[in-house]
Amino acid sequence: MTTTGYSIELEQMSKSYSKKTQVINKMNLSVVPGEFLVLLGPSGCGKSTTLRIIAGLEAPTGGKVLIDGKDSAQLSSTQRSIAMVFQDYALYPNMTVYQNLEYALRVHKVPKQIRQQRLAKILASLNLTNYKDRFPAQLSGGQKQRVALGRGMAKKSKIFLLDEPLSNIDVQLREKARDEIQRLHAENGQTIIYVTHDQQEAMALGDRIAVINDGKIQMIDTPANLYHNPANLFVAQFVGTPQINVFKVNYFNHQLIEENGTVVANLANYQAAGLVEDTDYLLGIRPENVAVSLKAANTDFPAEVESVVDYGRYQQVTLRAFDRLELKAVVSDWPVGTTRNVYVKLSRENLLLFDDQTHERLDANPEARFVLKGGQRRKVEA
Amino acid sequence: MLTEKRNLGWHVLLILIILAIMLPVLFMISNSFKTLQESYHSILQLIPAKPTLTNYVTLNKQINLFRMVANTFLMAMIVTLGKVLTGLLAAYAFQNFHFKGKRVVYFIFVATIFVPFTTVMIPNYLVIAKMNLLNNVIGVALPQMCDATGIMLFVKAMEKIPTSLVESAKIDGIPNRKIFMNLIVPLLKPNIISVGAIFFINSWNEYVWPTLVLKDKNSFTLPLALQNYISSEGGTNFPLAMALAVIMIVPPLLIYMVFQKYILNSISSSGLK
Repeated sequence: MTTTGYSIELEQMSKSYSKKTQVINKMNLSVVPGEFLVLLGPSGCGKSTTLRIIAGLEAPTGGKVLIDGKDSAQLSSTQRSIAMVFQDYALYPNMTVYQNLEYALRVHKVPKQIRQQRLAKILASLNLTNYKDRFPAQLSGGQKQRVALGRGMAKKSKIFLLDEPLSNIDVQLREKARDEIQRLHAENGQTIIYVTHDQQEAMALGDRIAVINDGKIQMIDTPANLYHNPANLFVAQFVGTPQINVFKVNYFNHQLIEENGTVVANLANYQAAGLVEDTDYLLGIRPENVAVSLKAANTDFPAEVESVVDYGRYQQVTLRAFDRLELKAVVSDWPVGTTRNVYVKLSRENLLLFDDQTHERLDANPEARFVLKGGQRRKVEA
Repeated sequence: MLTEKRNLGWHVLLILIILAIMLPVLFMISNSFKTLQESYHSILQLIPAKPTLTNYVTLNKQINLFRMVANTFLMAMIVTLGKVLTGLLAAYAFQNFHFKGKRVVYFIFVATIFVPFTTVMIPNYLVIAKMNLLNNVIGVALPQMCDATGIMLFVKAMEKIPTSLVESAKIDGIPNRKIFMNLIVPLLKPNIISVGAIFFINSWNEYVWPTLVLKDKNSFTLPLALQNYISSEGGTNFPLAMALAVIMIVPPLLIYMVFQKYILNSISSSGLK
């Protein structure tokens, strides 16, 4: 039952509720047919509003929304061919599971036989056949969530919008539900836009992820690029747990120098593209790229171990350098009973440098995939 | 111990309140089964010495009881249905449609609750007279088909229905009238019943407005007929009036008993949450 999804395009789309507050600011976004796009951002960033505008529940105050190439302002809800799953599932409390799934089809006069066939298939695939005569109040959170998914599937729409569908169910069930959503996408080929504030969920699901903050898309890319090549400090900090380490450094004589004068990284052999001598930058380094050892080597600096959390597969070490700078490191074989004093080495290949003022990413590392010419900053797609 | 003592105090108070409420009702019922003479010398006795149905039989001869019950019922029914229907529709619009000046319009609607009946009585009467609806229960019902109290109560009730329900239905292309009929009305059933019952009882007991519109005895509602038996003109037969009063309280009482669960629910839940 493969269907091809519709494309969705936002052109300079804005939304404001009052003159002062701009919820979405001239957003441009292009979703290709059949894509699984995740809108990721903290609460209140405008991601749900974006989804609601695409669904037609709210009208944009500026710009356009194109669905399948047509201006959505002219389209009725049926022409948009959208199904949506709400955070609270929005199941009709006065209807049974079966009736919930069937209702829209019945109103649109889909013949009874087709209805029955289609719903039987969906109920079976979601393990809901035994619950079809129950009312929503008699279902668990996970079951309700599956009914909501099923109701979206029953419509066979070209676009499937999901607004934090997993935030109300148990952590154990979430992974299963994620798999279900992915299977559904693989089977039906709909265009899916999925809103979440959970970066792990976003990484697990999305073909691409659009990180949104302050009503703007900060970056839109694959999960891997989001993680390894964040466009700005916000993306770097929002994606990845434990959070990326960030601290201020000064670039001087091919070296990155921490505020207290210690050299934390030596860039001598690198052509430091775009870095300006004697300028402050923000250095970001992911915890897994912070190496900890008991012996000092070149460009290593000393630190004290504050705490170690053992997650079994890896250990998360909190370090304190120069008596004030907190660093997190993720290591896989932390020796038991290690002394408090260790040496830290930052993996040069994985250093991320950000402009101290704009927080935009600079690409100072020529070994990284992106090389920037002459101090030019990476433009953010917004 | 302390709580038990406190409970005891409450119980005494409640019993007193119940007595205060029940005594007049019992008084009414018992006197309706007394002869005129018996009621004269033992009006306060709660159990009639010789219970008799004569009052009811006489009433039935003197006035067309069936016709009056039917009149009252028809009038109360029309008013109740009208108020509930217009209230639900208006509340749905206020809750789900976005239009300019919505708040102002809503405020004006609600403000009508505070307009005293006496100020609209005369204009309403003139309109009804022009429409040739005097002496007609329709004339009584028509000006009351819409009530801001109902709108307000239904808006409050609809606020409790998650907006995502209606939005979800809209995305699925369900037209408003179906959302209203298949979702909102079933979900508001308890509210509709309780508000409807209150409207019905109020309308059933209504006196001033019907007196103005209904002049012909054949079109009388029960409260008007009752007035005839306790007024200076014909009000000498006290047990007869009591018998009519008993007949009058039966339908609202039945409604209350049948829908008690909903009525109490709506009263208790309106304060909470």
